[in-house]
Amino acid sequence: MKIVKDGIRGSNNMFGHTHDEHFSIDCFAYKSKMNHWNPTYKVFLALVTIIMCLVLNNLFVSLFVIMAMTYLIVVKSGLNMREYISVMSIPFTFLLLATLAVGFDFSRHPAGEINMDLGYFYLITSKRSLLEMFRLFIRSYAAVSALQMMTLTTSSSEIISVLKKMHVPVIVIEMMNMIYRYIFILLELNNKMKKSAHARLGYCDFRTACYSFGSIAGNILVVSLKKAETYYNAMEARCYDGEYSFLQENKKTEGVHIAGASVFVAFLLIIWFATK
Amino acid sequence: MKSRQIKIIILLSILALSAGITPAVSAMHIMEGYLPPRYVVAWGILCIPFLAAGYFSLKKTLQRQRKTLTILAMAGAYMFLLSSLKIPSVTGSCSHMTGSGLGALLFGPSTVGILGIIVLLFQAILLAHGGITTLGANTFSMAIAGPFAAYAVYRICRKLKVNKKVCYFLAALVGDLFTYCVTSMQLAIAFPSETGGVSASFLKFLAVFAPTQIPLAVIEGLLTVITMIALETYAKNELSYLGFDVGVKINVKE
Amino acid sequence: MIEPILRIRDMEYSYGNGEMALKQVSLDIYKGEKIAVIGSNGAGKSTFFLTTNGVLSPQRGEIIYNGQEINKKNIKELRKNIGIVFQDADNQIIASTVLAEVGFGPMNLKLHKDEVMDRVDEALSYMNLSSFKARPPHYLSGGEKKRVTIADIIAMKPEIIIFDEPLASLDPYNADMLEEILEKLESEQKTLLISTHDIDFAYRWAERLIVFANGRIIADGAPIEIFQNREILRQANLKQPALLEIYESLVENRILEQDDIYPKNVRDLKKLLSNRGTEEKHEKQTD
Repeated sequence: MKIVKDGIRGSNNMFGHTHDEHFSIDCFAYKSKMNHWNPTYKVFLALVTIIMCLVLNNLFVSLFVIMAMTYLIVVKSGLNMREYISVMSIPFTFLLLATLAVGFDFSRHPAGEINMDLGYFYLITSKRSLLEMFRLFIRSYAAVSALQMMTLTTSSSEIISVLKKMHVPVIVIEMMNMIYRYIFILLELNNKMKKSAHARLGYCDFRTACYSFGSIAGNILVVSLKKAETYYNAMEARCYDGEYSFLQENKKTEGVHIAGASVFVAFLLIIWFATK
Repeated sequence: MKSRQIKIIILLSILALSAGITPAVSAMHIMEGYLPPRYVVAWGILCIPFLAAGYFSLKKTLQRQRKTLTILAMAGAYMFLLSSLKIPSVTGSCSHMTGSGLGALLFGPSTVGILGIIVLLFQAILLAHGGITTLGANTFSMAIAGPFAAYAVYRICRKLKVNKKVCYFLAALVGDLFTYCVTSMQLAIAFPSETGGVSASFLKFLAVFAPTQIPLAVIEGLLTVITMIALETYAKNELSYLGFDVGVKINVKE
Repeated sequence: MIEPILRIRDMEYSYGNGEMALKQVSLDIYKGEKIAVIGSNGAGKSTFFLTTNGVLSPQRGEIIYNGQEINKKNIKELRKNIGIVFQDADNQIIASTVLAEVGFGPMNLKLHKDEVMDRVDEALSYMNLSSFKARPPHYLSGGEKKRVTIADIIAMKPEIIIFDEPLASLDPYNADMLEEILEKLESEQKTLLISTHDIDFAYRWAERLIVFANGRIIADGAPIEIFQNREILRQANLKQPALLEIYESLVENRILEQDDIYPKNVRDLKKLLSNRGTEEKHEKQTD
């Protein structure tokens, strides 16, 4: 009984987090109070911020970026603080574990500044490594915050339209638009199939679970290939002739935003200069 | 799957747990902001020739048969789905398929490169896996190195007349393992060990990822076999749509 | 004599596997007609629609739209003037916002952007969707998705609108809404073709019925005549509409008298029954 229960819980947690939350990452962008801001502006603000974090590689700059991005998302975009923490907790744990691997080394000899005997080998590190690890963590976290600022306020279709303005080839843009749409169709399909497999005890033990997973994966691929043709017909029925053009709402860049971004970048440079 | 194999997987999974540090870089994504600027640029540039090749082959395919556009887009969405699906695992740690081996078998490695970079971008946007500045490095390891290795293994095995199921298994397995090695290398170059340099660091990252990545590669190999069998049973017709790729032509003929 | 808006002659279509999906299909469609297309699954309805719209090109036969013969060059005329609302909304919606989705067709018509905007606004308000503009389709309900797909086609302003099984998977509330929309379109003199398995709806709504079986049109005419023809019903695996059956058994049992005007909906039947009541009263009074 317990196994079955576990299996069901597993299905809800398919994204490490609950299923709803996965969808809500995309959904926040539509609810955001920053949604009416010009998408190109938001994408560039995020990119410039990330690049500044990397190039300046300064602890204080990164800390300031984290604060500024939190402010933007919580105050300007109107995302609930609790929701924000829950969204950021995924990259936070990823980063924490990944930086741990950078900070420590393994060695047969206690060659480091700080050594921990683990029997066959030593876990070694140094103050410098630990500090480096901390800086790396903060820098990455700042960059992730900037990225999240973009994704939590800008819908994927708008991000794609920005890429189009940046002259990414049309085929790739078309492909991206379609993939984005199909992702949600397949997710829904997968959800349904998974539920029906659960209903027939398809996850009762590991072996069955593997088999169910493989069959569902294969089946979804079959169905999606079949759907692809129907899709193409539906597009042609509406006069599609090889050029995928989408209507987009025009969102103007406001002077205040540009000024704000300039002040922000200048401030980052000042912090960097002062703490160099 | 035999009970002995299950035992091996369980054993490896216990190892993974006991290792303690199971880096949650689950599908081997390097996070945003993790790589210093010069590696960002270097890996980005390294991807360009492969992506260009993929782009041109894609363009040629579309000129020949425009309908493949929706099929490829579906395939891209499918890769995203696969990589976001939690595969059954004993430990409960989250493990994901990369799907690159399967993709390479079905669509050929260069097309997977283009699809891969799009999928990775969506993963960064929608799931916060990976990032924009690390897109180059991630694309190289997951959408270029892995698929090319998988494809090469598949071709070689077919030439050697190895059983088809074994071919699929090995292709996906090697694809995954190669991705894992390349990612470890990328991290090692960016963060060389203080005492032992790049090589020591490389070994360290290999060791750290091994407990999750090796069983994962085995599972992915098995799942790829199951998926391919399902496809061959139910979707002979649909597979022939993908006939622009050699890998499938072989499958369809048989 | 009125010219038909669409004339199809001996159209044949077979899929790649050699299976003939349409065999010698011929028919004329006139402006403003309300046509229901019925037939079992796989009878060729959807293939017929796709060839009519020009997505599939028939191997044989001719299509004449507004007096103009359709060939490879002007096939776009068909797609422009004949819109299809697909059965499964998820198979039709391709864009990632409602605005972009409804704008997709008009953009493909290469209209000026302002014109596209106007048409989209018009279609959205027509379908009561104006507040959904910025929403992505994956956060819409089934009924809302259906409305978006109809707005898609309305924005293209076609002469003929084809609905492929629009009632399938709609709840009663949305089905009622759909019928209201159909009435609205009808009042604008649009030509409407609807495929359906709901014979009660077909009987109630249509002025003309086309029955498909095994890729052929086996009957084409007034619904009442076709639904009374047992042979056709048997061939196409169809039943009589409930209302017609009730009416006929009422007549058989001499509760009602045979009338030329058959009741098309429950309201008509009630009227007939209450008229009969008053007649009886009259009779009693005259006695």
